[in-house]
Amino acid sequence: MSRLDRTNCEEAFRRLDDYLDRRLTPEELRIIEEHLEVCAWCAREFNFETSVLHGVKRKLREIEAPTDLVRRILSRLPSSPEEGG
Amino acid sequence: MSLTFGSYVPELTSPVTATPSCAPASPAPAATFESLFASCAGAAYGVAMRLTRSQPDAQDLVQDAAFLAHRAFASFEQGTNFRAWFLKILMNCFYSRRRQEKRRPVTSDLDDTPDLYIYARSGEAGFPTQGPDPAAQLLDKLGTERIVEAINRLPEEYRIVSTLYFMDDLAYEEIAQVLGCPVGTVRSRLHRGRKMLQKALWQIAEEDGIVKASARRDDA
Repeated sequence: MSRLDRTNCEEAFRRLDDYLDRRLTPEELRIIEEHLEVCAWCAREFNFETSVLHGVKRKLREIEAPTDLVRRILSRLPSSPEEGG
Repeated sequence: MSLTFGSYVPELTSPVTATPSCAPASPAPAATFESLFASCAGAAYGVAMRLTRSQPDAQDLVQDAAFLAHRAFASFEQGTNFRAWFLKILMNCFYSRRRQEKRRPVTSDLDDTPDLYIYARSGEAGFPTQGPDPAAQLLDKLGTERIVEAINRLPEEYRIVSTLYFMDDLAYEEIAQVLGCPVGTVRSRLHRGRKMLQKALWQIAEEDGIVKASARRDDA
């Protein structure tokens, strides 16, 4: 990964998704974070995308299974796996 | 209600292994199917809901998967990631059902969504673009049901990967194992799916009057 600086926002942006998904190597992460410290524009974009990602995850995990789903399914399982086949 | 599932038996020969980033604590050596299933049924139902887009179908899908998993439980390697193992079975059940259905042609206006779709529009719509959690205001106004609807609007290949990613926080490698595809495919579909999701969210925000509908349709 080449050196990132103020003039290299495009290269930082190409790593946005990997940054969000924690797929960067420690060295790549360090370079991106250094860039975000000096580039307010990129920092704002990265922060916004992080907010969207975490917000969607948070909302989707509010969904709950019907309270009796597990009980109903387990009650219908055969007493031994062999009986089901 | 009688339980019906075909003769289809998923391939269970390669156990899905846990990864340190998101694996739950290893179950006790003698963990029962019932306890393991109960611990992941909520997440499985959430995934099934996104796949089938219907509560009854989601419940049937989880039930079918539970039966197959119960039957194959002897092949589950204790100490590995039961949730990922179960989701793999659930996905196989889903694909099996899909093969039996007549596939509809998929068309989407979400293709070629530009980067930073929501960010680029939030400012002029009066929503914050900076601060500790700038997207929260828009997402709160949309609400969970409409965010789910946005996921539902994605073409299937992107919807499935996005569902596993957003709802279960599986690592790329685990999603690849669940779907039986290369990690690179997961990565590319996820990245594209996330862009599509932003456009779908914005379209719904327009439909709901949360943001003013734009006359511009070039999306550039």
